[in-house]
Amino acid sequence: MNESLKKVIPNSVITALEKRGLKPETFLDAVSADMDKNGELRSLYLILTDKRFILVVSDQSGEMIFSGASPASHRPVEGVGELYQYELSRIANPKILDQVVGGLFMADIDGIETWICRFSGAKMKEMRNFCMTFSCRLTGEEPPEKKRNDVEYCPKCGMPYPEKGRSVCPKCMVKRAIFLRILSYFKPFWLRICGLFLCMIVSGILSSLSPYLTGTILYDKILSKNQEFTETLGIPGNFVLALLMLVLSAALILIIKQIVGVIQGRINAYLVPEVVTKIKGNVFEALQKLSIGFFTRRQTGSLMQRVNSDANEVMGFFIDGLPYLLYNIFTFLFAAIIMFSMDWRLALISFFMLPPLFFISYRLMPRIWHAHGRRSRTVRTLYSLLNDGIGGARVVKAFGQEEYENTRFQKVNDRVRNAEMRVVRYGNQFEIMYSLAREIPSLLVASIGALFIIQAPGVFTYGKLITFLNFLGLMQGPMQFFSNIFRWWASSMNAAQRVFEIIDARPDVMEKEAPVYVDLKGDITLNHVSFGYEPNKCVLNDVSFSVKSGEMLGIVGKSGAGKSTLVNLISRLYDADSGEILLDGINIKNLAFSSLRGAVAMVSQETYIFMGTIAENIAYARPDAGHAEIVRAAQAASAHNFICRLPDGYDTIIGSGGRELSGGERQRISIARAILADPRILVLDEATASVDTETERAIQESLEKLIKGRTTISIAHRLSTLRNADHLIVLDKGELVESGTHAELVAKQGEYYKLLQLQSKALAMRGIGD
Amino acid sequence: MLKEKMKVEDQVLEKQKQVVDDITSVHRITKENSVFSRTDGGFVSLQYTEEDGEIKVYNRITVHRCFPHSDPTHYISIREPEGDGREIGLIDDMDQLPEDTCAMLNEQMELRYFTPKILKVRHIREEYGYSYWDVVTDRGTCRFTVRMGGGSVYPIGKDRYLINDLDGNRFEIPDLYKLSAREIKQLDLFI
Repeated sequence: MNESLKKVIPNSVITALEKRGLKPETFLDAVSADMDKNGELRSLYLILTDKRFILVVSDQSGEMIFSGASPASHRPVEGVGELYQYELSRIANPKILDQVVGGLFMADIDGIETWICRFSGAKMKEMRNFCMTFSCRLTGEEPPEKKRNDVEYCPKCGMPYPEKGRSVCPKCMVKRAIFLRILSYFKPFWLRICGLFLCMIVSGILSSLSPYLTGTILYDKILSKNQEFTETLGIPGNFVLALLMLVLSAALILIIKQIVGVIQGRINAYLVPEVVTKIKGNVFEALQKLSIGFFTRRQTGSLMQRVNSDANEVMGFFIDGLPYLLYNIFTFLFAAIIMFSMDWRLALISFFMLPPLFFISYRLMPRIWHAHGRRSRTVRTLYSLLNDGIGGARVVKAFGQEEYENTRFQKVNDRVRNAEMRVVRYGNQFEIMYSLAREIPSLLVASIGALFIIQAPGVFTYGKLITFLNFLGLMQGPMQFFSNIFRWWASSMNAAQRVFEIIDARPDVMEKEAPVYVDLKGDITLNHVSFGYEPNKCVLNDVSFSVKSGEMLGIVGKSGAGKSTLVNLISRLYDADSGEILLDGINIKNLAFSSLRGAVAMVSQETYIFMGTIAENIAYARPDAGHAEIVRAAQAASAHNFICRLPDGYDTIIGSGGRELSGGERQRISIARAILADPRILVLDEATASVDTETERAIQESLEKLIKGRTTISIAHRLSTLRNADHLIVLDKGELVESGTHAELVAKQGEYYKLLQLQSKALAMRGIGD
Repeated sequence: MLKEKMKVEDQVLEKQKQVVDDITSVHRITKENSVFSRTDGGFVSLQYTEEDGEIKVYNRITVHRCFPHSDPTHYISIREPEGDGREIGLIDDMDQLPEDTCAMLNEQMELRYFTPKILKVRHIREEYGYSYWDVVTDRGTCRFTVRMGGGSVYPIGKDRYLINDLDGNRFEIPDLYKLSAREIKQLDLFI
């Protein structure tokens, strides 16, 4: 028996089957399904032998475990509950019926359509493969080569991959802690950062000196006329001079502090924008690398937020927090040491509230983190909505739904406000806590210190108390800072996580390591290609065809038949789920992106115009193109005339915020873009759908010149557009139903013929009506 | 000659009109004009009397809800299983049908919209762009994985949420506020 089948069917079931006289050696293929007819969770095993189809229903009901979850630690020993056997001769047409969730496996048994089993989405892929093998077995065809089993666990850490077939372990991807990763952005600026820290230390020392000067020295040494003090200064008895020196040194400290502050500010002003720009650049770069699927899955607004505001938010902690952290800790420690050496009792009173304070802060952290995450999510929704409301302004106005949009926006806006208020509320809580922890000790120190002075006037001096209170005042800064740093940390790390999620996201479509670089000729072959945008929702099913270099292939089919999807696969915007696509006999997965993209140009039904001049838009694929080439391409796309009529000609700014173009004009610009790219393979996806008939004819003529010597794939609703195609294929609901030349398909009188008749007669009819 | 040509074209146009009619017109299925029954193969068949009195038999039908979330018992679309999946007719209100027919159709719909309801959230762990759920549903305990970053968990009504996992399976939270505060807190990330 095949090794891979042993993984599918548990040993206990195999033994039980052997007892019933079934020989595991004869098993050709097997698959497990996960639901019984009532939708209860139960393992079912479908087995195909050379003569029979066997359905085994397990006698144990199980736990539902889907992709990404670790397998159950304990699996009950399964036996055979029910057993059904059918001779293969009784079975025909096995097929999978897609449901909204999961699917259904059915076949004709004795000529009656019979429901065999159902399964969840997790089993869809395997069931499809099984069904394919099954039907090949029945029809006697060679089954397509079975794909290697996807590795399901990360070899490094043993974690199951969340998405099967996508061997990306998210855990191993983000190995370094977020914090360290952000720090790495500062690495190139280490010299400046050293300078920054130096400034901090200097100003830390300086600021902790001044309370001492204005306290002990002023009161106890100068005002109380301490003779010793003046002697150590070398000016015995001259207290006025001593006072002058005190004032001067205080002023000096102040000036140095200011200078250091300015230097520090300048370094900061340089560092922050530098690093923020770098992070933004990185995110955008990462976005460009990602496959088209990533963008369709996410809201534009939320992506915009990530590139823009998240990068700023990340820096919050690193700019307002981290540099001052050292300074504040330094000041704090310095002050604490002096205070303890002066009088440990008062110092103890000053600090007794700190341990519980830090404990509470630590406990509150997750909540703050949470509040920040929530705020960012609501803001993201707001961005998306904004994007919607502004992008769809035309529709909103046309239907007079401004009021509706307002309420819709207001609702989300309110949610943002609430989330924001929550964040602020936590901030306030911190503020209150920390100011209590500041004020209460000050009060206590002042009163107890005064008591000390009254009780033992000689020992505890007035100056000492003032110094002490000064130091307490000095600590206000660091305390205030510590009350904020938790919030900054939370918000910064929260944003950083989102930023890195994008930077680390792996594109679905990736260039192979050591790809093949070739100049393609333009032979295209598709072998058993299946594909779906969503898991298990098949858009293309087992499509095979081939186009020779220089030929034109026309793809015909109703809307939603999968025509555009097919060409998306050929230009590798997505990767096929199964089957292979070959260009010149090379699997496109092995081709270098530069070779592939250089060889394939697409004019799609969605034309996108970038911000910039018309010339830039046309030269998008080849920015080095000269004006002569641009004009020639525009002429070929019959865009030249309308461009020349514009006041600014080819220099007209179009795209968002620029001049508005009509649908046909945009389409012609994108055709010109493709013409200029001069590809080996030209994909025209409804390229002339939104131009008038006359313009279409003009473009057709230029396209005819263009397609000479190139492989062309053209999709069109109007069959007249395809009249030059060498070969036509007809798609229906993701399946290739007909293929051949125009003449062959007409002779066949099938789907194509029907479409042709309807269209040509209707057009003729319109002609008569005129 | 011209007349003949016009005649042919008339026919084509007529046919086209029919196709358009077929697409745009809505047929109502009521208890009077339909007989649903179970087939030997475990599916449901329909014998349907069209407006013009013609009786059509469909060996197998599929049942779609027009409003699966907001109005699951009204506007039930009965469709052909093969080809384009053309709509045979629309049931305005399930309550109008005989009880056993209702049961039969509900079974089919349950099949199509298999969506366990989450009764208890045992644990949700978020890590590196995916969240791992461990929940108790009306179908038993269940563990699955959801891609983070929006779109996987979305509201389908007041306090009702639908969850799409990596495999395309669906789960429903029928009423968020029937869950405990601790559970809601775990879900906070998505809502």
